[in-house]
Amino acid sequence: MLRLLPVLVIISYAACAIPINSNIVNKNVDRIIDLNSQLVKVTASITLENTGKDPVSNVLIFMEPDAQGSLAFISAQDALKEDLKLEPIKVDGLKDAYEVKLRQPLNQGRTAGINVEYVYTNALQPYPNSISQKDRQLVRYFGNHYFYSPYKTVKQTTTIMLNSRDIENYTKLKPVSQQDTTITYGPYNNIEGLTVDQLVVHYENNAPFLTVTRIERLIEISHWGNIAVQENTEIYHSGAKLKGPFSRYDYQRDSSSSHHSIKAYHTVLPAAAHSIYYRDSNGNISTSQVRSRKDWIELELRPRFPLFGGWKSSYTLGYSVPSYQYLFKTNNNQYVLKMRLLDHVFDDMHVNELETSIVLPVGVKNIQLKTPYEVQRLDDEITYKYLDNLGRIIIKLRKENLVEQHIQDLEITYDWQSVLLLHEPILLSLALYALFVFVIIYVRLDFSIHKPEHSKTQ
Amino acid sequence: MLGINKKTNTGSVNVEKQETLLTLSILTLAAILSFATRLFSVLRFESVIHEFDPYFNYRTTKYLAEQGFYSFHNWFDDRAWYPLGRIIGGTIYPGLMVTSAVIYHTCWLLNITIDIRNVCVFLAPLFSSFTTIITYLLTKELRNAGAGLVAAAMVAIVPGYISRSVAGSYDNEGIAIFCMLLTYYTWIKAVKSGTIFWGTLAALAYFYMVSSWGGYVFLINLIPLHVLTLMITGRFSHRIYVAYSTLYCVGTILSMQISFVGFQPIQSSEHMLALGVFGLCQILAFVDYLRSKLSSQDFDTLFSALLYTFGTILAIGVGVLTLSGKISPWTGRFYSLLDPSYAKNHIPIIASVSEHQPTSWSSFYFDLQILVFLFPAGLYFCFTQLTDANIFLILYGVTSIYFAGVMVRLMLVLAPVMCILSGIAVSHLLTKFLKHSETKHTHEHKKSKKLESSVVLKNEITATYVGITCLLLISYTFHCTWVTSEAYSSPSIVLSARSHDGGRIIFDDFREAYYWLKMNTPEDAKVMSWWDYGYQITAMANRTILVDNNTWNNTHISRVGQAMASTEEKAYEIMKELDVNYVLVIFGGLTGYSSDDINKFLWMVRIGGSTEKGAHIKEWDYYSPSGEFRIDKEGSPTLLNCLMYKMCYYRFGQVYTEGGKPPGYDRVRSAEIGNKDFELDVLEEAYTTEHWLVRIYKVKDLPNRGV
Repeated sequence: MLRLLPVLVIISYAACAIPINSNIVNKNVDRIIDLNSQLVKVTASITLENTGKDPVSNVLIFMEPDAQGSLAFISAQDALKEDLKLEPIKVDGLKDAYEVKLRQPLNQGRTAGINVEYVYTNALQPYPNSISQKDRQLVRYFGNHYFYSPYKTVKQTTTIMLNSRDIENYTKLKPVSQQDTTITYGPYNNIEGLTVDQLVVHYENNAPFLTVTRIERLIEISHWGNIAVQENTEIYHSGAKLKGPFSRYDYQRDSSSSHHSIKAYHTVLPAAAHSIYYRDSNGNISTSQVRSRKDWIELELRPRFPLFGGWKSSYTLGYSVPSYQYLFKTNNNQYVLKMRLLDHVFDDMHVNELETSIVLPVGVKNIQLKTPYEVQRLDDEITYKYLDNLGRIIIKLRKENLVEQHIQDLEITYDWQSVLLLHEPILLSLALYALFVFVIIYVRLDFSIHKPEHSKTQ
Repeated sequence: MLGINKKTNTGSVNVEKQETLLTLSILTLAAILSFATRLFSVLRFESVIHEFDPYFNYRTTKYLAEQGFYSFHNWFDDRAWYPLGRIIGGTIYPGLMVTSAVIYHTCWLLNITIDIRNVCVFLAPLFSSFTTIITYLLTKELRNAGAGLVAAAMVAIVPGYISRSVAGSYDNEGIAIFCMLLTYYTWIKAVKSGTIFWGTLAALAYFYMVSSWGGYVFLINLIPLHVLTLMITGRFSHRIYVAYSTLYCVGTILSMQISFVGFQPIQSSEHMLALGVFGLCQILAFVDYLRSKLSSQDFDTLFSALLYTFGTILAIGVGVLTLSGKISPWTGRFYSLLDPSYAKNHIPIIASVSEHQPTSWSSFYFDLQILVFLFPAGLYFCFTQLTDANIFLILYGVTSIYFAGVMVRLMLVLAPVMCILSGIAVSHLLTKFLKHSETKHTHEHKKSKKLESSVVLKNEITATYVGITCLLLISYTFHCTWVTSEAYSSPSIVLSARSHDGGRIIFDDFREAYYWLKMNTPEDAKVMSWWDYGYQITAMANRTILVDNNTWNNTHISRVGQAMASTEEKAYEIMKELDVNYVLVIFGGLTGYSSDDINKFLWMVRIGGSTEKGAHIKEWDYYSPSGEFRIDKEGSPTLLNCLMYKMCYYRFGQVYTEGGKPPGYDRVRSAEIGNKDFELDVLEEAYTTEHWLVRIYKVKDLPNRGV
């Protein structure tokens, strides 16, 4: 092991082979770590300064190499709230590293502000990891007291937002203060780049720890004016596991709203959604409520049973929306479908695996796909629906580890002849016509060779 | 002349066409009605499978549709009857599943992408539409088209049949009634025509019937009985000979292809009548043949010699076969048909099923209404016009009314014949009366004035009679619809009740519990419950169970009964012996659901105590000193400390169920429970549904040594 050490050192040195411009300095960093939900949402406003002579156009953003959980989403904006382009780069020894292209090169002595926002999933660990029904759910957050950056940081503060006042303990690297549900670390001055000092917060978090382990979203286009959406969802309570019995009596007596079990949650559907159904393999789940808001439909979904830590459930939710809101005709026979690749399941959701399938109408050609972010495209399939002898193409997309920020539109462009709309009615009429002709011939003509004796006598 | 001829010809053709149109439209309407009236439960709840057995049928159908026939045929189910398992392919009547799978695959072939669950849900209504049509054809063969139409209209909505064929009630009976009537129809055709063609068709229809329902035994006894009656009444002819010989030979060979039936048609005593009558047919035909060839003296000598020889051989043969066990003794279910008290005295498991109870008079009226009164009239009209076919109808009517009296579920067999006979009665009477009113208009003028007053009276009587019949028929329609909607359209898997403010409350606890089991227990968990819920657990929770509704192994069920009826320690031994991980009980004390496990508990005790291992469990220990079954403080201590009691009432002692009543007030038994504060030692509550209808307990592991 010891002999390997030099090798490891070399490797870790090589990790920094990407040139780090030591002239860049983080003049000020304000970091807000939001631990209100099951996700870790970090917003960092960074003020950069170029102390060197050459103008700088690229800035590196590194994530802690031993960060808990996995990075689901990251975005960067400049001071004017305009998105900056993030380019993932490979740095040895780091899981996630990005390069931000600034809008304008940063000249000597100038400063620029960028806001980086990122979300970690599975970063909060329940501790203890199994609790009984009456216990509170405590979780631990492992982080870094300092903003992790390849550059030197002159001044930084970190604010941690929690959803309860019950904090078991937290690391106290001075200066630190706690006020109500927020902990403020810093300001810390002149921290060298890539410094890690572990920050731990152990606190009560009764927010729903609900993970969508898999969601299959099926979008079916009909040019008769309808788009059917169906979502097969598997959910899992990823919080502290339930230890010991579940007592219905205690559960019914406990009326407090903050409990680690999940009774119900809200899903948002498009305002035009109709024919909503909510079922599972055993049939309709009768415990759901639809409320129409002004711009959306709110659906309160109650799983068949309350979910405790380690319990899972699954269901199918489906609805229809009129196609004119999502399907557009561009020029001759070309159509564009704009639909969400992933839709809202519940607030602060975390989706492990998404598979979106889009069933295109019969006879489409020249399909072009535009996704808002990188997704894996699976092989196309062909399906047969009602009276469908030609088959329809299904486009399948897959992505792992998604959060709310991934709710974005996808665009599919395809060519389609509107005459094909008549394909099925014509087929049906032909079949019926053939049937009638057959019956007419059968009834009118006598096919028997001779009449048997007994039928004459009757 | 030519012109007039032509005119009359077209006139008669027109009348014929009108009749066809009328017949077709009435039949179509009746068929649609019979489908539509069975959809109450789908409209009120959802397209869901009902009750218990249908869930098993649904599960097997799904397996068949997905895996194909051969793997279905060889299917060994390790999910049921742990640790024994069950050979599904060899222990079911596959007709129902095959029918649905065929419909399913045909639809998919035509690119109608229907879900297999919907095929199953709507199969019974579909086949009752077919039944309507086949009833028309059968009655038309037996009597005339008019009676056929009335019978078809009646059978479309008769509650006795609807009870087993609403949408979602996916059971063998759903298609079996159609198969039965189809067999009767082809049989009557065969008897009338005496052709091998119709005989073979009857055999094929019989094969379909055998493949779909155990009730085929009724059919294979009724047809020989018909033949036998024809022989006795001297109506035996070559036509009957051909029809029966073909049906018996082809039908028997075909029926033996069903692996569940196997060699029964030639071994078990239930089928012996058919075999005997077949032999008798041959002898009779042979005797007839000899008689035509020999002089009467020679014939008499030969006849007596042959009679004695064969009689002796036959008696010895049957005796030997019975003793050697080749001819199986009559099964319990059949005994209970002949002697209603047999099952109660001997086999508690048969007696415990409510549908095996004798039928009460009120349920005859409830299920058949006016048909009960029209039935004798129909029989009378059959007797007045005795033909080969009518004799069959009389036999069918009389035997089925006997069997329906013995067992509630056989009301199903009775319902069609009730409709046919009532159809005959109504149609006959109406035709008779309406003819009078018609003749009045055409020929009246020539009649003398003397008769006029009586003719007028006749006319009024006619009008009154027709009016009354119409009223009766209308009341029948209303009654049928009411019964269907109130009594037979609840899926029993979802319960609904009215709340105080008139809103509808849905108790979906069964599916809640089954889904919990499916999602949150290990894949190979074994669940112990009373056998009623076995099929539902395997179908909806996909977990291994110990006993189910198949009830083929009495000792195994008895073992479960013993566990439920024992104290915790004893039960723990049994549960460990059976590798039980979870125990599921149904408890209605909070909601007032009366068919729960406490109410079934005496059957568990009886069945548990009926075998050797459970000899220590005695029914009397569970009664209070005054001889009552009580769950309050007066109840017997054995009951108050048995596993079932503890599982049902665990922590119930703290719950307030009704205003003004102490906590732990059981709303089904209307009593405060007697044993309130207790803890469970070997079990822990794993899940209880929202309304406490289903409670699931986890069996704790054995304690670690030295702790």
